[in-house]
Amino acid sequence: MKQKADVLQGTLALMVLKTLDVLGPLHGYGIARRIEQISGDLLAVNQGTLYPVLLKLEQEGAIASEWGASENNRRARFYRLTREGRKQLRAETKDWEQTAAIIGRFFDAKAEDLS
Amino acid sequence: MKSLRRFLARLFNSATRRAQEDRLSEEIEEHIALQTEENLRAGLSPVEARRQAMLKFGGVEAMKQDYRAERGLLFVENLLGDLRNAGRTISRMPGLAAVIVVSLAIGIGVNTTILSWIQTILLKPLPGVSGVSNFLLVEPRMETGGYPGASWLEYRDLQTRVPALRDVVASQMVPFNVGERGQTERTHGQLVSGNYFSALGLKPTIGRFIRPEEAERPGTEPVIVISYDYWQTRFRGAPEVVGQKVRVNERDLTVIGVAPREFQGTMLPLKFELWAPATMAPALLGGTRDLEDRSTRAFSLIGMLRPGARREEAQAEFSTAMAQLARDYPEASAGIGGEILPFWDSPRGPQRMMISGLAILQGVMLLLLLAVCGNTANLMLARGSTRQREMAVRVALGAGRWRIVSLVLSENMLLAFLGASLGAAMAVWGTTALRVAPMIGAFPIRFQTRVDELTLAFAMLLGAACGLIFSAAPAVHLARLDPQDALRSGSNTPPRSRARKVLMGVEVGLAMVVLIAAALFLESFRSARQTDPRFRPEGVLLAAYDLSGRNPDEASERDFTARLLERLRSLPDVEAAAIASNVPLDLHGIPARPFTVQGRVRTEAGQDRAISNTVTPGYFKVMAIPLLEGNDFAEMTDKAAPAQAIVNEEFVRRYLNGADAIGRRIQTPGGSFAIVGVARDSVYNAFGEPAQPAVYFSYRDRPQDQGEIHLRTRSGNETALTAEARAVLRDLDPMLPLYDVRTFSQHIERNLFLRRIPARMFAVLGPLLLGLAAIGIYAVVSYAVARRTREIGVRLAFGATSGRVVLQIIRENLGGITWGAAMGWILALVISVRVIAFTKGAVNLPVFLGVPAILLGVATLACWIPARRASRIDPMAALRHE
Repeated sequence: MKQKADVLQGTLALMVLKTLDVLGPLHGYGIARRIEQISGDLLAVNQGTLYPVLLKLEQEGAIASEWGASENNRRARFYRLTREGRKQLRAETKDWEQTAAIIGRFFDAKAEDLS
Repeated sequence: MKSLRRFLARLFNSATRRAQEDRLSEEIEEHIALQTEENLRAGLSPVEARRQAMLKFGGVEAMKQDYRAERGLLFVENLLGDLRNAGRTISRMPGLAAVIVVSLAIGIGVNTTILSWIQTILLKPLPGVSGVSNFLLVEPRMETGGYPGASWLEYRDLQTRVPALRDVVASQMVPFNVGERGQTERTHGQLVSGNYFSALGLKPTIGRFIRPEEAERPGTEPVIVISYDYWQTRFRGAPEVVGQKVRVNERDLTVIGVAPREFQGTMLPLKFELWAPATMAPALLGGTRDLEDRSTRAFSLIGMLRPGARREEAQAEFSTAMAQLARDYPEASAGIGGEILPFWDSPRGPQRMMISGLAILQGVMLLLLLAVCGNTANLMLARGSTRQREMAVRVALGAGRWRIVSLVLSENMLLAFLGASLGAAMAVWGTTALRVAPMIGAFPIRFQTRVDELTLAFAMLLGAACGLIFSAAPAVHLARLDPQDALRSGSNTPPRSRARKVLMGVEVGLAMVVLIAAALFLESFRSARQTDPRFRPEGVLLAAYDLSGRNPDEASERDFTARLLERLRSLPDVEAAAIASNVPLDLHGIPARPFTVQGRVRTEAGQDRAISNTVTPGYFKVMAIPLLEGNDFAEMTDKAAPAQAIVNEEFVRRYLNGADAIGRRIQTPGGSFAIVGVARDSVYNAFGEPAQPAVYFSYRDRPQDQGEIHLRTRSGNETALTAEARAVLRDLDPMLPLYDVRTFSQHIERNLFLRRIPARMFAVLGPLLLGLAAIGIYAVVSYAVARRTREIGVRLAFGATSGRVVLQIIRENLGGITWGAAMGWILALVISVRVIAFTKGAVNLPVFLGVPAILLGVATLACWIPARRASRIDPMAALRHE
């Protein structure tokens, strides 16, 4: 149970980083919307879980945040990727692609390939 | 790196909780608002739009929990919370907190100070030198028990014959007269072996040290190393001092270097200013044969243990070497063995005496601290009980037992560490008390005590231990609390407070021990001041001279003493003058020498010994010691009279069974003497000492190269004689300084210095402890009484007189106190009889009766005040109470 949440948190972190990389500074809601759009159901129910992840990333120095004005001129907290975060994103993307490739090959493998 | 950064951020966040919490709420609010707008645009009703937005966001509280857990460190947060809470609690009871912190600070401060003193002697016998733990004293020892020192040739032999010692260094203490004719100044220095500085591992402040080859051949290298202080005071710290010439004992020596700042030589606690190569001895000491003569044992040796070697090995090798030397050179070394000793056990100097004294003092002060802890525990317990309700609420709201304990603990630890910090600050101030020790006797003394990491750690350790000790009782008490019970009953049922009573008894018992120790010490100190020394110190001026730099022969010593005495007697203001080799009541003590006396056969093994002082005729007149029989010594110029001795009453009583002493012969290693007189007993080494046998010899028969001039003034102002005495000595020998000039009263005060420190300590701490005990008892009783208001009301309503109520309360509380006091009293009695010979056999009745009387009186008063207050209440008001 717990492990599942950890996996989710890990992937969520990567999604946040990628989103900020593509779209530039965004507030929490914006990030949530974006991830929702792309990932479909993953964040549909518990958008709140995003915030602990944002905090963790911020404390690790991957993202930074400051107050700014949102589209409708309300005070909102904007998150942006730091240089550290960009590095982390690159490294994690590579890791992820490698892992995905390996897992993919395992799924593609047929009985005769393994004999 | 990443995780460290995260940890630091979390640690930081733990401290700044509130701002973060606000930020999160705002973000959530914003998020939901944006989502609501979105939903509105999608066509939902405002209410539904917000509901959907909330649903989509998920559980806010659960998320906040996650967020918090992510943000900070839970245990740190709890701890900080506890500390904040503790701070608040403490600030609500400033009076109580002040009493606790100050009393702890005093207890811890005193203990830390004493530890720093012990440390100075035990762990840092050689200031400025590191690795001292491997350094040992290498002491030749006579069969008769004396430590005569080593000769130079013996030292050279031992260097190679004790392989367990990596290095052996030799040093000899010598008086130096520095400066030109007529204006010399006396300082002390050491003649040292060539490896002295290198083996001690010292680095010069500037210049260089003596090289091994400079202490090889006699008289070749006229060089000298000066101390840092000497460099600063005499040369104003000028670096050009290296290469300059200094005139020492009428020889020009070249300064080659300055010793490190803290280094003061290798004979604690003496402070030396100059170091010259040992091979300069003949040149500096008037042609002494120190370097060739095996029977001149002038050097002290220090050995450095080879890594991995043990003291026992060194001892075995040293004994073998000394046995070999005794066979090879029987005339100089027969009957001389050797001992390897740690510094604190040095046969010379006050270390041994100070260590045992300080150990006792530390023990007593630790008891005092324990009593303070008991007192604090009591206060906290009394307070803790009033907080039962608060704790019950906490438990009811779900606080675990450990949270309650940690809450109590953090409060008490905060108090304890406040006390420890204040105590350490006090110790910094207290250590200087020993640093400013006056010059004692003819020798400058310096104790380099300070509060360092070790003593600081000790203070904090004491603080932590105290905190734990006085937390234990309240923490256990509160953690065992049943919340339902506590909330329901309020203050109606007084819980049995056995813990408090036991604590009160223990505290009073400890206080009893400490107070009796303090009183005994003060009493012995006071009686020391008031005891008749049985000579008359008032109106006597003392001053010292030293011819040893000249290496004079006996005839010239005798001649010099005779001429000096003659000149001093002729001074108009001098009523009587004399010279003596020793002054009574000196910190270093007067030596006792072995002898045999005609008409006494000693039955048991060993030798008879008597305090031995060499004096000139006129000494007994100056000191106002009456001669009970016989006559004073023959005049210095008398060449006909045989060698003479004068003994005291105790000598006659102990060794001659009171028989007639005049005319009998005394045999000493120095010759045979006829007893010509019997002097009254007087005090020699310490006030309050039992009568000691003593023998006086005459300068005429046993000339000495140094002496203490005693002058009794005619006018009553002895200090006025100083200039005249100086002039007399300058006339006789312009190179000879008069030093250590002081009145006899100053001499006595100075030598009481080391006893005065603990005396002052006790004088302040005794009343303080009494006050603390009173506060502790008062707090406990007044609390207990307050809890029983209703019961007392009922009694009064049923017709009990207030007097009876008071009596009953006092009786209940005094029970435990008396128990504790009795235990403490017995403990103190056992200690004083068994361990400390304060009382010299007899138990000091005034102290052993007076202290309990005072303590119990104070305790009764501390019970009576709250009891009286309780008995004054209006029964109706008491019954309505609550």
